[in-house]
Amino acid sequence: MLLWIAFSLMTGAAILAVLWPLRTGAGAAPEAASAAEADLAVYRDQLAEIERDRTAGLIGEGEGEAARAEVARRILRASAEVHATRAASAGNVGRRRAAALIALVGVPVLAGTLYILLGSPQLSPQPLAARLNARPEEADVAVLIRKVEEHLEANPDDGRGYEVIAPIYLRIGRTSDAVRTWSNAIRLLGSSPSRQSGLGEAMVADADGVVTAEASAAFQQALAQDPKDPKARYFLGLAAEQDGKTAEAAAYWSALAADSPVGAPWLPLVHAALARVGAAAPAPQTAQVPGPGAADVAAAEDMTPEQRSQMIRGMVERLSARLAEDGDDLEGWLRLMRAWTVLGDADKAKAAATDARGHFGKDDAALARIDALARELGLGS
Amino acid sequence: MTRKRRRLLLIFSALGVLGVAAGLVLFALNDTIVFFRTPSELAAEHAVPGTRLRLGGLVKDDSVVKQDNAHVRFVVTDGGGEIAVNYAGLLPDLFREGQGVIAEGTLEPDGSFRADTVLAKHDEKYMPKEVADALKKQGVWKEGEATR
Amino acid sequence: MNPEIGHYALVLALAVAILQTTIPVWGARAGDAALMRVGTALAIVLFGFISLSFATLVSAYVQSDFSVLNVVENSHSMKPLLFKITGVWGNHEGSMLLWVLVLSLFGALVALFGSNLPATLKANVLGVQGSIATAFLLFILLTSNPFIRVVPAPAEGQDLNPVLQDIGLAIHPPLLYLGYVGFSITFAFAVAALIDGRIDAAWARWVRPWALAAWAFLTVGIAMGSYWAYYELGWGGWWFWDPVENASLMPWFAGTALIHSAVVMEKRDALKVWTILLAILAFSLSLLGTFLVRSGVLTSVHAFATDPSRGVFILGILIFFIGGSLAIYALRAPTLRQGGIFAPVSREGALVLNNLLLTAAAAAVFVGTLYPLALEAYNGAKITVGPPYFNLTVGALMAPVVFAMPFGPLLAWKRGDLLGAAQRLMAAFGAAILAALAAVYVQGGGPVLAPVGMGLAVFIVIGACVDLAERAGFGRVPAATALARFRGLPRATFGAALAHAGVGICLMGIIAETSWNAERIIGAKIGQSFEVGRYELTLDRLEPRQGPNYRALVGVFSVRRGGADMGTIESSKRLFTARSMSTTESGIRTYGLSQLYVSLGDELPGGAIGVRAYWKPLVTLIWLGALIMALGGVLSLSDRRLRVGAPRPAKKPKPAAVPAE
Repeated sequence: MLLWIAFSLMTGAAILAVLWPLRTGAGAAPEAASAAEADLAVYRDQLAEIERDRTAGLIGEGEGEAARAEVARRILRASAEVHATRAASAGNVGRRRAAALIALVGVPVLAGTLYILLGSPQLSPQPLAARLNARPEEADVAVLIRKVEEHLEANPDDGRGYEVIAPIYLRIGRTSDAVRTWSNAIRLLGSSPSRQSGLGEAMVADADGVVTAEASAAFQQALAQDPKDPKARYFLGLAAEQDGKTAEAAAYWSALAADSPVGAPWLPLVHAALARVGAAAPAPQTAQVPGPGAADVAAAEDMTPEQRSQMIRGMVERLSARLAEDGDDLEGWLRLMRAWTVLGDADKAKAAATDARGHFGKDDAALARIDALARELGLGS
Repeated sequence: MTRKRRRLLLIFSALGVLGVAAGLVLFALNDTIVFFRTPSELAAEHAVPGTRLRLGGLVKDDSVVKQDNAHVRFVVTDGGGEIAVNYAGLLPDLFREGQGVIAEGTLEPDGSFRADTVLAKHDEKYMPKEVADALKKQGVWKEGEATR
Repeated sequence: MNPEIGHYALVLALAVAILQTTIPVWGARAGDAALMRVGTALAIVLFGFISLSFATLVSAYVQSDFSVLNVVENSHSMKPLLFKITGVWGNHEGSMLLWVLVLSLFGALVALFGSNLPATLKANVLGVQGSIATAFLLFILLTSNPFIRVVPAPAEGQDLNPVLQDIGLAIHPPLLYLGYVGFSITFAFAVAALIDGRIDAAWARWVRPWALAAWAFLTVGIAMGSYWAYYELGWGGWWFWDPVENASLMPWFAGTALIHSAVVMEKRDALKVWTILLAILAFSLSLLGTFLVRSGVLTSVHAFATDPSRGVFILGILIFFIGGSLAIYALRAPTLRQGGIFAPVSREGALVLNNLLLTAAAAAVFVGTLYPLALEAYNGAKITVGPPYFNLTVGALMAPVVFAMPFGPLLAWKRGDLLGAAQRLMAAFGAAILAALAAVYVQGGGPVLAPVGMGLAVFIVIGACVDLAERAGFGRVPAATALARFRGLPRATFGAALAHAGVGICLMGIIAETSWNAERIIGAKIGQSFEVGRYELTLDRLEPRQGPNYRALVGVFSVRRGGADMGTIESSKRLFTARSMSTTESGIRTYGLSQLYVSLGDELPGGAIGVRAYWKPLVTLIWLGALIMALGGVLSLSDRRLRVGAPRPAKKPKPAAVPAE
């Protein structure tokens, strides 16, 4: 809204630049010198200059005289013109109205149309500092990635960090970064089916959809650890298809479709693949109860550290609220103190310790445990 | 009368100066232009040693040999031919293996190239224009491939 | 600040520019004072909007607003503040915005300070300015919009080309643009006068300050660009005949010719047709330079992104303005009244010679720059026209100019006395011969041309002094009178003499540097010493350093001469991580007017590092000379006579104006 007000004010200023000089009453100002008059002024100035030079002795007498004569001729010619021409008219009302109309209509229409075609009024300014300081739930993906990257640069051995960022890299198309980070995650955290198949998927994306030998190897690793891993099976089928072994591909996919729960997010993809190689899709296993979908798992995997800490923070808040209502749970208080300290909020941890002392004022054993933990956490006394 | 003659004089002297200038330009152009060649073009036309040339192409991977007296040897290739280049001097900041380069100098009798200037100037696409054009002709390089 | 404000301001500026193109010109044709006045207000508002737009873009850079594509592509959050700001014009889009900003600045200056101009001339000038602004604003909005946004915004930018991350970039392009675009005013004056049909001595008086200002800026801009290339590129060269340098040199030649022929036109009402043509040419060559750089038809460090649609657009602009102005010129020029006459040997004659040679030099540069393009288009042959061509042609054409330079001011208007002038220059001749002999003695058998050139340079400098002394009458009238006269000399006279002396000083630097420099390329190990010129350099140590957005390897050299300690030089190579590109930061140490120049190369096998060291005698004179030239221009500009121009004529007959008809 504010933006549109600013736009209107600016448009108004542009129109005013036309209207103001056109207003009635301004026309009478004798501002406009006619061409001949302006010429005359220059020549008179030149004449005075020659005079000055001559009295100062800068030019010779003869030279000065010749120059004088020349300028005088120009003056004569110009003065003849002054009498021949009339000064510019003050302007007639019709023309002024036309000009004003052009400005009043033309400026907003032209500027408005062009801006609507070219501009992005819906976007707000996004200075980097503001984005970096934004609360985690408001921060955008790019900034979160940047923060994780900075974190990883400082702690290159944090395998969880790599694991968190790898799928995000893949999703925004930074495929080679995804490959690199999955490899790091596997190196630091050890192999797991989801990591291996994630690595394989990133490699496939990095090779523009071709399941390379390395990618196949990663998927085989995943299957070795979890023969049911859907991603690995799907891509191994794709590898077989790309090798021209459609029967093998169909076998992978039929098996995958057969033991997938109903509504599994990858099913449409598998069915499409099966149709592509001309194999029939097996009937889904209606009996099976849909467990936590792979999509949910993936969503949890995709969670950034900020989102995680947000989640944890929410849990801690809930604990805190419960203890405020029912303060007899000593273990709860101790957990709360520890949790706030881990989250880096020493003030809240101290407050929790104080509240706990208030609740257990007469229980020396409890007080001793609270004090011991406070000392351990460095919360002072 | 005199006015007219002076005018003519002025015009003729102007023409004279311009004529001299034009002659100078033609003479200088004849004498100083340097042709741009790629290794495969050089191989095809058996250029005379000693001619001044600009050689353009890619610096062949793993071909750069730096000697401790600031002499450098590297191979310029365009996919169709290769020429070894000798250069005494510091390489420009943007000189890299696998990237475009232009070397100016003369062809030696032994078929190598002695460069006195090596340019690795390029725009954001990391490729001097002449080199990009030549490589496109050779089919070595496609649009958008050499970025980053 | 919201980038959208800047975007809208730019769109609005286009609308304003279109009005500025039409309304005042319409007013001038209809003789309507009110409509003509609108041009003044519009020119000022136009400048306001473009400034706002530019300021918005700067703020987006400063705040690293990566939702703006241009910022993403050319900035980095870790970049020092200064380079965030200069990065605004370190890329195609931003530099075009700076271009129109300067254009509108000049338009606003004419609007504000052009009150001495006839109303129709002023209206037409502003109209022509408006049309140029319209064309370039359209170009920016349609092909090079700096306000395009990205969703989602990346968290980091791609950084500016490291070669451009330098203080040189902060000053060089704006100055150059002030020069380039400054000639748009003289162009607008020329076209306006052609439209109006009034071209006389007074016109030259009005145009001269603008031409002088543009010329002075261009001179400093070129000199700064040259110095920047000198220390940043690490080659020790100060002029490469790079197409972009040529693009700035051509308008400089034309502009230099213009400020001289305008004098003839103002004083003698002669050379009118020619002066108008030069005014058109100077700006056309500026436009051509813009085209060459921006279209990417030529490769150069300055050619940022290359995009054919941009090239075609600028070519269109080029054809429209150059073709259009030359068409009006062809139509109107024959109708001009003949001006004053003069003998071949006269001040006018000397200035004509100067003009002919300067334009011929511009033409030679033009041919050399465009010939490879034309030939490639014709038969596909790729050639390079290199420094030898330019040195030969420009050198040969400039030699008579500089030789004749001291004579010109000593000749009288209309009919001069060449012999008399030569006699008065005897002192300068003497000094020149002494200088040449001294040069022969010092160099002891170097290039033959060097002493001749040195003599010529001294001839020019002393000749300029002789000119001032002659005007004051030293030696002819009593010293006290002469001194009084000397003080009373117009500033324009001092300016001219100073500028001429600057040419001589620049020439000294060029000759000394090219003839007597010493170069040494060596693979040096730590502790190793080597000689360059009469200096002995020792590589003391190599140390890594961390900059804000780069890592540097610094070589520290100690300098000795004849055993005496002469300080240290630090030269470094920087590796910019964001683009994984490296730059050379040459180590330069100035001794008097000469410099020792050291740049680092690659690390070599065996622990050595490539070092390139130069001894460059009197090299600073090249840029000092250029600065002195520009200073002469500024001094001329401050001359009361140019500023006063025309006292307001309409004020006096105000009551009488109405009954006059």
